[in-house]
Amino acid sequence: MTKTVLTIDDSRTMRDMLQLALVEAGYRVIQAVDGIDGLETLSAEGADVVITDINMPRLDGFGFIEGMRADPNHRSTPVLVLTTESDAAKKQRARDAGATGWIVKPFDPVKLVDAVRRVAA
Amino acid sequence: MTDDPFEAIKVTFFQECDELLSDLEAGLLAIETGAADDETVNAVFRAVHSVKGGAGAFGLDDLVRFAHVFETLLDEIRSGRKPCDDATVKTLLRAADLLADHIAAARGQAPAVDETRSAALVAELEVLTHGEASPVVAVLPDAIAEEDEFGFRPVAFDLSALDAPAAPSEAAGTVWRVVFRPHARMYANANETGLLLRELARLGSVTVALDHSALPGLADLAAEESYLTWTVDIETAAGEAAIREVFDFVESDCDLSVTPVPASDRAAAPEPADDFDIAALLAKAMADTPAAPPEAVVIPPPAAALASPAPTPVSPAAQPANQAAPAVTIRVDLDRVDRLINVVGELVIQQAMLAQRVVESGLARSSGVSVGLEDLELLTREIQDSVMAIRAQPVKSVFQRMPRLVREVAEMTGKRVRLVTEGEATEVDKTVVERLAEPITHMLRNAIDHGLEGPDDRIAAGKPAEGTVRMVALHRSGRIVIEISDDGRGINRDRVRGIAVSRGLIADDAILTDEEIDNLIFLPGFSTADAVSDISGRGVGMDVVRRSIQALGGRITIASTPGKGSTFTLSLPLTLAVLDGMVVTAAGQTLVAPLTAIVESLTPRAADIHHVGGHDAVIRFREEFVPLIDVGHVMGFRAAPTNPSSGVAVVIETEAGARAALFVDAIQGQRQVVIKSLETNYQQVEGVAAATILGDGRVALILDVDAIVANARRRSGRPDLKLAS
Repeated sequence: MTKTVLTIDDSRTMRDMLQLALVEAGYRVIQAVDGIDGLETLSAEGADVVITDINMPRLDGFGFIEGMRADPNHRSTPVLVLTTESDAAKKQRARDAGATGWIVKPFDPVKLVDAVRRVAA
Repeated sequence: MTDDPFEAIKVTFFQECDELLSDLEAGLLAIETGAADDETVNAVFRAVHSVKGGAGAFGLDDLVRFAHVFETLLDEIRSGRKPCDDATVKTLLRAADLLADHIAAARGQAPAVDETRSAALVAELEVLTHGEASPVVAVLPDAIAEEDEFGFRPVAFDLSALDAPAAPSEAAGTVWRVVFRPHARMYANANETGLLLRELARLGSVTVALDHSALPGLADLAAEESYLTWTVDIETAAGEAAIREVFDFVESDCDLSVTPVPASDRAAAPEPADDFDIAALLAKAMADTPAAPPEAVVIPPPAAALASPAPTPVSPAAQPANQAAPAVTIRVDLDRVDRLINVVGELVIQQAMLAQRVVESGLARSSGVSVGLEDLELLTREIQDSVMAIRAQPVKSVFQRMPRLVREVAEMTGKRVRLVTEGEATEVDKTVVERLAEPITHMLRNAIDHGLEGPDDRIAAGKPAEGTVRMVALHRSGRIVIEISDDGRGINRDRVRGIAVSRGLIADDAILTDEEIDNLIFLPGFSTADAVSDISGRGVGMDVVRRSIQALGGRITIASTPGKGSTFTLSLPLTLAVLDGMVVTAAGQTLVAPLTAIVESLTPRAADIHHVGGHDAVIRFREEFVPLIDVGHVMGFRAAPTNPSSGVAVVIETEAGARAALFVDAIQGQRQVVIKSLETNYQQVEGVAAATILGDGRVALILDVDAIVANARRRSGRPDLKLAS
């Protein structure tokens, strides 16, 4: 069955790129523009995997993951964090918030698809 | 547009860059005026960050390098590690300008950014970031390759790599033993052992053994605890790094050891995992929990899958209310909107024709048809307004380009300028917005270059050293008005007059009011700069500005107070698609005069009409003589002027404020007409601005009153000014 990936990023360019790479790899992609939109989209449409940016207006990626983990329906939905900041502190914070893994921007489509496959049941 | 999805995303990226640049500038300006909060600083950071992110994906290295240095400083400021004082904001604003230049260059819309200029600014940013110039040497071309320096390496986005075959799963090589004991947190973050094992299996052939000895009886089992340990022997050529990479995400959430297995130990490989006996485990669980009813017996799930009492989900409503959700919008091809507007235009015409037929048929106004038609008219109006609203855009897109211009002109002239804007949200038709940029640019340059004094002169005049230029947009009586005012020296009327006389624009004994003198600067061939300056000169005079505004059906005027400053007022129709007009008849032709130009109409009395010279006539109008122009004659509908007392004189005012009376045979009435371009369908005709289709289906020409007046003046050899009263 086709798996659905929810991508959350305030940059249209980044959303389009994620979509291009993921659709190419056979995933269905839905999009949201910030953390709040992400929570709403996730609860309305559900997803098998979520990819979220960290730095976003209204609600950032950490806040999104915490909110998502607080929802019983999505406690065990894998979520990957998109970040240019590859430093350990950011990864640790993402992990503390409940992130399953991360993708370092600017992402390599092969690695992106790889990361999604690694967390998608 | 392109079919290549990657190119299409690039187009999107540059569009997004425009938006990010304006967010960036708006944020920096808010910081400059002290109107910023933490979110503003964050938004500014995000803008540069997003530019860098996208640029990295497209391999736009120059852009990435500059954005990176810029972003680093913003990050310091965002986190409070570096102060954001006035000088810093000024540097940031210049950095924003340079970022825009880098983007334009990457887009191929501008030449490459001057390396020295970029390097100088990078050095400045680095001093602000590190407290001193860093030894990095900001813009070494290959600096980007230094991963340590930038913290990341851009990876160009190459989709074709997706088609590459997967790594071979069967490969002879070393045998590694992986002992893996997940912590509870690994499961809490939605990582699953099964998936990790699957990844391992992609590297080579695996043998998996499960150690479930730590698993307690059901009574003691904590649903979210982790009790299992896996031992995996894997034969692979991939190496230890590849194996560890599988556990990259869970490294700190598990105990992991990866060790090579000497050939001698291979016999002692762990027992296969299928030794794991569910039935035995269940039996054990049952035995351990004798009091539990059978329904309570549950097979232990792979840890975290069991739900615990749910904490309250974060409600979006709990978010700060002042952060508005992004407006829901759709992008529509402009052609479709224009088509809709055209069709609605036809609808308006059709509706008017229908109304006229009904009137002609002699039906009573109270008849059902007439009443229904009135409702239809209201609806048509409403549709038309709604359609026009689709094309309406706030003038913000033009206004926000101006701060940069002001900074640049201020720098060039050595003046200190503060730009104050108001009414950015004022909406006007897209085509009008697009054509506003040039005249506004010119007027702003003019205001700073000619209007404002230098700091020393200002202080001497008792003014603050920093001059203020205000740019205001507002709606006034169905038009958009843009005012650009400065608190500078005002127009030097003696000088303007002197220039006008010396250029032969007016007679040296002409008696002019102050207002008339001020408006002389709009005459063709007038330039107040003694030497054409690089700033407002550019080979374009105010006459060109005025003409371009008139071409849009607009007006421009100036009001000035010596020593206090000048105000340019620009007024434009909200749309270029419809016009409120006065329908008149001249020499049997139906014509439309734009209502905005009309002052009043009157029936001339023979006593008020005076002939001057051969053909020219003037008419007394409110103690003032204005030229009387026979429209039927000047438009070529009849060979000689007719007797003026047999028709109507429509007094009009041109954009320059000159008045004239247009003589026509009769006035039919006032109505809104849909503008049809004459150039598109035929060719430009002097004295005719456009055409329209009237309710009875006839085509009527819309008069270009300014051109008619100018034409009439040329014939009589008078300057383009009204006669003194």
